[in-house]
Amino acid sequence: MRTFSRNNLSFIILMLLPALLLVTIFVYYPSIATLISSFTNENLRIPSSGKFVWFLNYTQLLMKPEFWQVTGRSLLIVACTLPLEILIGFLIALLLNENFPGRGIVRALVILPWILPPVVNGFLWNWLLNGEFGALNGLMYQFGLIDKYVFWLQHPSAQIFWTVIVQTWTRFAFPMIILLAGLQSIPQELHEAAAIDGANRIQQLFKVTIPLLTPSLAVAIMVEFISAFQIFDIVWTLTAGGNVGQVINPYTKTLMVFNYQMVFRDMKIGMGSALSYLIMMMSMIVGVFILRNLYNRGVDK
Amino acid sequence: MKTIMKKSVRYLLLYTGAFVALIWALAPIYWIIVSSISTRTELLSKPYKHWIPTHPTLQNFIDVFTTGQKYRAGGTLPTSELLISGLRNSMVISVSVAVLVTIVALLAGYVFARMKFQLKDPVFFYIMLLMPLPIWVSLVSLYFMMTRLGLTDSNLGLILILGTMALPLAVLLMATFIRDLPYEIEEAAFIDGASRWQTLWLVIFPLVLPGASSAFLVSFLNTWNAYMIPMIFSNTEKSQTITVVLSLFIGQYEVAWEQMAAATVFVMIPPILLALFFQRYLVRGLSMGAVKG
Repeated sequence: MRTFSRNNLSFIILMLLPALLLVTIFVYYPSIATLISSFTNENLRIPSSGKFVWFLNYTQLLMKPEFWQVTGRSLLIVACTLPLEILIGFLIALLLNENFPGRGIVRALVILPWILPPVVNGFLWNWLLNGEFGALNGLMYQFGLIDKYVFWLQHPSAQIFWTVIVQTWTRFAFPMIILLAGLQSIPQELHEAAAIDGANRIQQLFKVTIPLLTPSLAVAIMVEFISAFQIFDIVWTLTAGGNVGQVINPYTKTLMVFNYQMVFRDMKIGMGSALSYLIMMMSMIVGVFILRNLYNRGVDK
Repeated sequence: MKTIMKKSVRYLLLYTGAFVALIWALAPIYWIIVSSISTRTELLSKPYKHWIPTHPTLQNFIDVFTTGQKYRAGGTLPTSELLISGLRNSMVISVSVAVLVTIVALLAGYVFARMKFQLKDPVFFYIMLLMPLPIWVSLVSLYFMMTRLGLTDSNLGLILILGTMALPLAVLLMATFIRDLPYEIEEAAFIDGASRWQTLWLVIFPLVLPGASSAFLVSFLNTWNAYMIPMIFSNTEKSQTITVVLSLFIGQYEVAWEQMAAATVFVMIPPILLALFFQRYLVRGLSMGAVKG
């Protein structure tokens, strides 16, 4: 009788080869090349550059006020976006966890912002907030909240505020889906038991629901951290104005925009490479944590 | 009587909540759609806006795809040509990525789900590490590598890069999906004399279709929505995707808001159609790793 061997090595290699080749050629090989160039002073504007300078790029970056300013701005965006989007996602998840006619349609429609291209969302809001003809102005004027049109994106801190709003609008559906799945996996008996013990709905929420949602919450936070920390597309069309040849708006320069500018505008390849590795180190703690979570799901042990 | 009261209060609360949630999620989308079918006069009227266009028109769509304004940065191409080439590139790239990634992920996912070998965990880790890895770490050198290979500003180059980016999620999806299939079916087919490849093709593939659909749709969507990579790796209409073309317009002629809106709505159509008709597959795929099934 033929046996179905599960360790035929040539079969395994053949099956894995395409995936491994793609990943190695298009990610790992260039990553190592980037790491090497992060130790050089390569600058395409300076012909004889490209000498090995050890950790000079890293120390220079760490001593640069702009680096800390940009990092601080990215962290500020994370710190404002995460609580807001998780709160909104959680409230909508609680709503969609109830049974009512039309729930499916609400769920289908509410995720739309999340599946649109982020770069489109940035533009969408840029148009809504337009100071001359924008819809927000029209709406607020109609309700008598303003007496003349306002340029919403003019002030630097307003730009950060709206970046947070648009990122929240784009991403809240992800925590919502994760938390909804978490809610649906909580057995009804637990709520009933708590109710018999005399807990009202608010107490049930804090004593039963939220503690049981912690794992889902952790996943949502990690994924959303990466998304907000590495924000690019939304900023690009909302406030950066960084089209070909145009000046990049300094007030919404996040880490990714900073990195883009350094490599493709200033042509400082060495320093840009060092910056990307610094960004990686900053995201790594969270990234590795995510991986551990995902890891045990895909592998048959 | 009291229960009816209680029930209607409950519904009142739920529908109020649903209404608020929908306004939050859909109002900006509603406005871009209204903008795209408004006449210029109505769209730019102030201080009072026309929330519902009195003379809805498709003229903006016709304009943007036929005459339109000239795209000024390059100085050569009319808007319409750039838009059409953008749509064509996005379609070609997204479909190719989805096909490529689904097949490659099916093969790799099968191995992770079913086969036993040393180094399985490290190899899986090697592929999955891409997900949290900040893209710039590879991007800087990748750009120069692609330039040397002559693969910048080409659809093939973008298919390879975006395909690799889409791969880990698809592998995870397929591995998880195949692992949950009953193993006995394959074994029976194999014992009955099917070759390993026949087993894969004739037995596994049909069973795995729902999982493969998720991988396909998610890869398509993520590629269609991609912006930064196409922006960096393309510079002419040969490979500029529709998201890149759109961002070029934004800087170039913001005055033609109604046409800008029409172009934007066009970019939004494929994702919206996917979300409305294939929501189950899409959501499963996109939230993979966090939600199962």
